Amino acid sequence: MPEISYLEAIRQALWQEMKRDERVFLLGEDIGCYGGAFGLTHGMLDEFGPERVRETPISEATIVATAIGASLLGMRPVAEIMFMDFILLTLDQLANQAAKMRFMFGGRTTVPMVVRMPAGSGTGAASQHSQSLESVLMHFPGLKVVNPSTPYDAKGLMLASIRDPNPVCFVEHKVLYKTKGEVPEGDYTIPLGVAEIKRPGRDITVVANNIMVMKTLPVAEKLSKEGIEVEVIDPRTLLPLDTETIIDSVRRTGRLLVVHEACQTGGWAGEVIASVVGSPAFDYIDTPVRRLGGKDVPIPYNRGLEKIAIPQEDDIEQEIRAMVEGRI
Amino acid sequence: MPVPFIMPKFDMDQEKATISTWCKNEGDFVKFDETVLTVETEKVAIDVPAPATGTLARIMFKEGDVVPVTKVIAYILKEGETLADLPTIDEGPSTLSRTEALPIQQPVTAAPAVSLLATPVAIRMAKEERVDLAQVPASGERIKREDVERFIADQKAAGRVAIPATPAARRVAQESRVSLETVAGSGPRGRVQAADVLAAAKSTPAPAAANGREAEIVPMTGTRRTIAERMQQSFQESPHIALTVEVDMTEAESTRKRFNTQAEKLGQPRVTVTALIIKAVSWALVRHPYLNASFNGDSISLWKDVNIGVATAAPHGLVVPVLKNADRLSVGELNARLIELAERARDSKLKLEDVQGGTFTISNLGMFGISQFRAIINPPESAILAVGSLVRRPVVVGDDDDIEVRSIMSLTLSADHRVIDGIVAARFLSDLVIGLESPSLLLY
Repeated sequence: MPEISYLEAIRQALWQEMKRDERVFLLGEDIGCYGGAFGLTHGMLDEFGPERVRETPISEATIVATAIGASLLGMRPVAEIMFMDFILLTLDQLANQAAKMRFMFGGRTTVPMVVRMPAGSGTGAASQHSQSLESVLMHFPGLKVVNPSTPYDAKGLMLASIRDPNPVCFVEHKVLYKTKGEVPEGDYTIPLGVAEIKRPGRDITVVANNIMVMKTLPVAEKLSKEGIEVEVIDPRTLLPLDTETIIDSVRRTGRLLVVHEACQTGGWAGEVIASVVGSPAFDYIDTPVRRLGGKDVPIPYNRGLEKIAIPQEDDIEQEIRAMVEGRI
Repeated sequence: MPVPFIMPKFDMDQEKATISTWCKNEGDFVKFDETVLTVETEKVAIDVPAPATGTLARIMFKEGDVVPVTKVIAYILKEGETLADLPTIDEGPSTLSRTEALPIQQPVTAAPAVSLLATPVAIRMAKEERVDLAQVPASGERIKREDVERFIADQKAAGRVAIPATPAARRVAQESRVSLETVAGSGPRGRVQAADVLAAAKSTPAPAAANGREAEIVPMTGTRRTIAERMQQSFQESPHIALTVEVDMTEAESTRKRFNTQAEKLGQPRVTVTALIIKAVSWALVRHPYLNASFNGDSISLWKDVNIGVATAAPHGLVVPVLKNADRLSVGELNARLIELAERARDSKLKLEDVQGGTFTISNLGMFGISQFRAIINPPESAILAVGSLVRRPVVVGDDDDIEVRSIMSLTLSADHRVIDGIVAARFLSDLVIGLESPSLLLY
């Protein structure tokens, strides 16, 4: 199986789906000649032309509103919001319109669109271009929030997202763009709302998303050599959230740690923990349930501080050790 | 229980009082209403009378101490009580010096009294036992002493009292029947972890083995527990009388043979003795309504329907499927229904309605060669018939003292004497014997 990057995997998905389904088109800032801020849509203007790779003005509200309108008229738009931070400019369109139309019209219309949004820190882009706002989007029923951690998941989830009849927020992580993994060349989808156990283990369940999966797996590998077996669960889709897989896991391990880059306060870790603690898995919990989120600060520009602001491998390792060794 | 002696409240806005003099010492006998001490409020000096007659014990404040109102200042031991009966001592500062200002907090009774309806005794008890009244469910309009006592007992029973343990540890403790109190916790601040309980369960020998004997411990679950509770309740609550008769089943057996010939022709199952007995019992019950009754305490229900339960062995213990309106069914119908219910019982497929509504029970152990036995009434019924084995034996018959071989069976009726007099039970048995000895009468 060819090894390609997370970024290439998403491009491949878009490319193949545009070939397969002529209703699919792209819109966003600088996605044409420039190929997108991260080069994700590089070459697509030449291949598909300006009708299907549409450059927009710098107005996120317009991008999402246009996508909604197109989807209502039968198109399958994939919009790019250059940085997830700017999604806040589109919340009226996204949360008040896109999320609700299917319900307001009694199911007689759907809003099949995807909004791509690169998230996360680690690029020295400071606090207005580094946020992880997935927890914000999880509070709007009617939206789906997808959050891949590997190239394989990114392609499969993107194809499923475009084909889904609901508005999907596709949260990509900037730092993951260059990570590589095996991706089938052909067509495949990964169902939305299904978590994956990225690594099985008996001692502790760690639920993590996108980049945090990639930070937890090496820690799990390291601890495994000492006999601590960490089960790493990637929800892949945050809304709807596959709590069943997580609850099952906690029943086996008795310990739960949730790790995300998003600010800890109001972060989705709280949602996962509430789901588990309120479930029959409660009677299997043998260590205080913990979460490890980003610090409650705007992401600093200073590279050293930027690193400290979000969980790093050492933090995850220490947290797991403290829990497994019974120090918490 | 010793009577707590509290600092009384004399004025609406009074929060504290200073003890001037104790007129009595610890160990002194005091009479109800007799002056025990004198206190001063900001306004006056007042004599405080004893709240009960008994021995003054554990004086907790000395002369000069400033005491918040309603605080326990001593106890009065009633006759027969000793110091050992006193509750454990409340912690915290027991005295306030004369100059020290009282804490700004509300007077102790004020907070619960305002937001919660509770009797003064309940409030005092909650305070002494350090129970949060807000968590105590009230049985009536107000939280009463009994409510607080029950709450404390429940908390203790649930193991929620001051044993830090993880949910998993609590589950494992329950499953392995280990008391959390006996487990040393390895977690932070002594918290009991699941592994601690597992280790304790392994190192603690099973209760039976501790007595030097080995036993397999079978947990009381489901059916077994229900049987245990109901049988104990029945045997304790209803005074059982037992009457035994012998029945000559020779005629009944030949009738049954004729039935079976008929059943064979129709391709139906063979008729059992039990089916015939059910027919006779329901025939007799219609004539003796007190045997088909329930005791309600202040009344007796004489049931219109005759619903006969038949004690049946099932995989998880005894079950009693019920044949509804048995008096209105033919022997063939009873037999078919009985076979169906017995099969369902064996396959654990009985529905709730199959085992409900019984008014009388029959238990037949005759097939095991049990000649006779006494059964325990199946509540809320008031009688049960125990059927022994059918044996052929020589019997003296007729006026000429002839000896013949007859089929004899013994029946023992257990009856609730609160509902059924001995003579009523005897008349029922007598009719039942007539019905079984002359089965053609059952058609009448």
